[in-house]
Amino acid sequence: MKYLREPLIQFVVAAALVFGLHTAWQAWQDKSDSTIFVSETELERLAALYASEAGALPGPEDMTTMVSDYVRDEALAREARRLGLDQGDTIITRRLAQKMSFMVSDLREDPVPSEEDLRAWHQAHADRFTEPARITFSHVFFSPSVRGDAAETDAAVLLADLNSAPAMGTADLGDPFMLQRQYGDVPLRELARQFGVDFAAAMAELPASDDWQGPVHSALGVHLVHITHKTDAALRPFDEVRAEVQQDWVEQKRREANEQAVADIIARYNVEIEGVE
Amino acid sequence: MKSYLGLAVSAIALAACSKPAPETSKTITQKADITAPDAAPAEGHTAGYNPDRNAYFGDLHIHTRSSFDAYIFNVRRTADDAYRFARGETIKHPAGFDMTIAGGPLDFYTVTDHAEYLGILPAMDTPGTELSELPRAKDMFSTNPDKITAAFQGIGASVRSGEPIEDMYDKGVINSVWMQNVDAANRHYVPGEFTTFAAYEFTSVTTNRDDGTFGGGNLHRNVFFKGDAPDRAFSTLDSTNPEDLWDWMDEKRSESYESIAIPHNSNVSDGQMFRLETYNGDPMDAAYADQRMRNEPLVEVTQVKGTSETHPSLSPNDEWADFEIYDKLLGVYDVSQTEGSYVREAYRNGLKLQQEKGFDPFHFGLVGASDSHVAGGAYSEEDYWSKIGIVDGSPIARGSVPFPGTTSWDNQPDNNVVKNGREWFSRWSASGLTGVWAEENTREAIFDAFRRKETFATTGPRMKVRFFGGYEYTDDMLNAANLTRQAYEGGVPMGGDLVGTGAAPSFIAWAQRDPNMGALQRVQIVKVTSDGEAVYDVACHTGTPDPATHRCPDNGAGVDMTSCTPTGEGASELKTLWQDPDFDANTRATYYVRVLENPSCRWSTWEALRNGTPPRPDVPETIQERAYTSPIWYIPAE
Repeated sequence: MKYLREPLIQFVVAAALVFGLHTAWQAWQDKSDSTIFVSETELERLAALYASEAGALPGPEDMTTMVSDYVRDEALAREARRLGLDQGDTIITRRLAQKMSFMVSDLREDPVPSEEDLRAWHQAHADRFTEPARITFSHVFFSPSVRGDAAETDAAVLLADLNSAPAMGTADLGDPFMLQRQYGDVPLRELARQFGVDFAAAMAELPASDDWQGPVHSALGVHLVHITHKTDAALRPFDEVRAEVQQDWVEQKRREANEQAVADIIARYNVEIEGVE
Repeated sequence: MKSYLGLAVSAIALAACSKPAPETSKTITQKADITAPDAAPAEGHTAGYNPDRNAYFGDLHIHTRSSFDAYIFNVRRTADDAYRFARGETIKHPAGFDMTIAGGPLDFYTVTDHAEYLGILPAMDTPGTELSELPRAKDMFSTNPDKITAAFQGIGASVRSGEPIEDMYDKGVINSVWMQNVDAANRHYVPGEFTTFAAYEFTSVTTNRDDGTFGGGNLHRNVFFKGDAPDRAFSTLDSTNPEDLWDWMDEKRSESYESIAIPHNSNVSDGQMFRLETYNGDPMDAAYADQRMRNEPLVEVTQVKGTSETHPSLSPNDEWADFEIYDKLLGVYDVSQTEGSYVREAYRNGLKLQQEKGFDPFHFGLVGASDSHVAGGAYSEEDYWSKIGIVDGSPIARGSVPFPGTTSWDNQPDNNVVKNGREWFSRWSASGLTGVWAEENTREAIFDAFRRKETFATTGPRMKVRFFGGYEYTDDMLNAANLTRQAYEGGVPMGGDLVGTGAAPSFIAWAQRDPNMGALQRVQIVKVTSDGEAVYDVACHTGTPDPATHRCPDNGAGVDMTSCTPTGEGASELKTLWQDPDFDANTRATYYVRVLENPSCRWSTWEALRNGTPPRPDVPETIQERAYTSPIWYIPAE
């Protein structure tokens, strides 16, 4: 069989094999394109579907109906694909894209961060690990609904009194306030919710002081404020938030990996958008 | 597209959650806790503890990907995402845009996924699971819209009938996803800052239809656990009868799993939610009323799918009754029966039952929620995304702008998008929230407020409203710095029973605007008796109520429709001491407060404005955002 080692012979045999396989494949393809084969598995699936809906196995007539429906759907679906109807359909496209993106997501193992990775992350995303600025204060409220335009002047008058008589009790002063008259260590952003953004901004600017200050305007009215303590926003120490940093880091890497997997697929395509250079 | 819309229809049907059920009879024995809060903060409380109680805002009705319908709406956000959204983080809508909570972080938030087939759809969509091999999974996640619709409707039919689809009813998966939701709630609970509850939705729907659709009387309710939660959730696959749910809750309570259930969307219950019979059509009795009130002290009165306060045909003399009315049964175009579907009528029938039979199954307080199915509620008219994901995720789908290719409302094509926009989505609302008065932001304090019914509902803004009734209140108290304390000590807050002394009671109604939203126009007190109702304006931004008509003068507030900018002035707070001019010491009466903001653009108007097309003509261009308090019940002396 020495001649089998001849390069020319090898080539001819290989070519014949390839040609034969291709022909067989083509024939099978043609057959599968023009044949709707309802397999035993498919018949069982249809019967099971019927049973789960109806609670009983399908009779021969039901099977006939289901099979002819199946054949009809399959024929129409293939014809639709042949005509390219699946190409412009948002639902189908989105559904396929979703299936694919699901398949590529979460395939990889989570990477393990190093100590330096985490410390760098902590610094780079300091805003996520920062204790908000807080403020402790009392206030006396002057309601425009009660006093009208006099709310502001009434407040100014009382301010002078308060600061010249520091021992004066304030619990009975001003108008009733629906919420609290004292707030302890409340985040400034909470003031924005309770009093409006202008009040929160004004309070951020005012210093802690033994004196009463104001009048400060809110969306609710006019206030005199006694700020006893302010805490600046502060980055929580790395050791305290290590677990949170790690979780944040891993989640981000996971998102990046998923996005990368999708990007890799996209990169296999040339994208041309008509009218866009 | 047609089949897809068919899916949308059934999906919407499922998205709705509420259900009529018998209510507990309420009697004096069911009296609310009327003791005033302790004056001094006790040891061991969180920062922010206030013996005079703070107003906390939250949403008690949120769905995520684990709800079978949400998953079909393309929702992939988890319970963790939902809680992050509530705390101010931005998350993605299934249509791809960003959602950020309007008005800043909430104080409490609760994921209430449908218990039926909880987490089953995500599992069916996960390659490699047994569930993904089911024929129904192949159909549901095929690219064939007819198969998707059929598979989905089959699930809806099972949820409604209570007959499980055996191969999908994987209790291992369901219970494990339930415990994941419980864990997520526990993980995100930060006492003093942010409260969560383990909770779920019981998705019962009546039907008199035999076409296999979901359309029917909505008897949905959400179940909330005060602390620890049992290891499974009672669903319609156990029983579709809410009374069986209450039995289960009673049983769990005896095992120290304290809970309440909150029904919702009575407006589309087809008259079932407040029907004057039990679920099976038997007469109600005192035991029924007691059990109902023990388990369901609150009702959700406003949400995306409309208002359940009252209907113009039930309250023809209430000029504000025609507000965000939505009356289509779930997923179909049939109109829900009005009688038996609204809260104010239920209060009246409750008093009637009390008078005739000695019990009141409708002695409940009020809350609001969104029922968002995309993990994040849309509370702002200006930034609205409705609630069922890709199905209503665009202005076109919501019917707030003309169908593509048209610019006028006169020549809309006859297709399902247009029809669903007209019949359903354009009539949905950017609503709502629950306010509670609680000493601190903890599970215990907030749940106790639920039990006291010291709650109010808003249509989205965070206006605050206090309401007290008592016999010793005086005008000068209104300007006393310690008004709140005096009010607690001298009477009962919202949710309380005010027992008669023979004298006429006084009521303190006190509203404060949302500092970041519209100003207030008026405060009203709604009075309900067994044979009637009346709406009194009690505090006005401009002037005082006319003693004959009980109406405020027009305050001239309006909206510049070219920019949606409010015009005119409004109040930052309104406060009054009020006595009922028609008081009868011998007649039971239910009083609750309704607070109205100045007019503002409705969400559909904002979307039209941004689109440069005229606002949809068959919905109002402007609305008046509002709050509703739980009632105070006046009960004559024996």
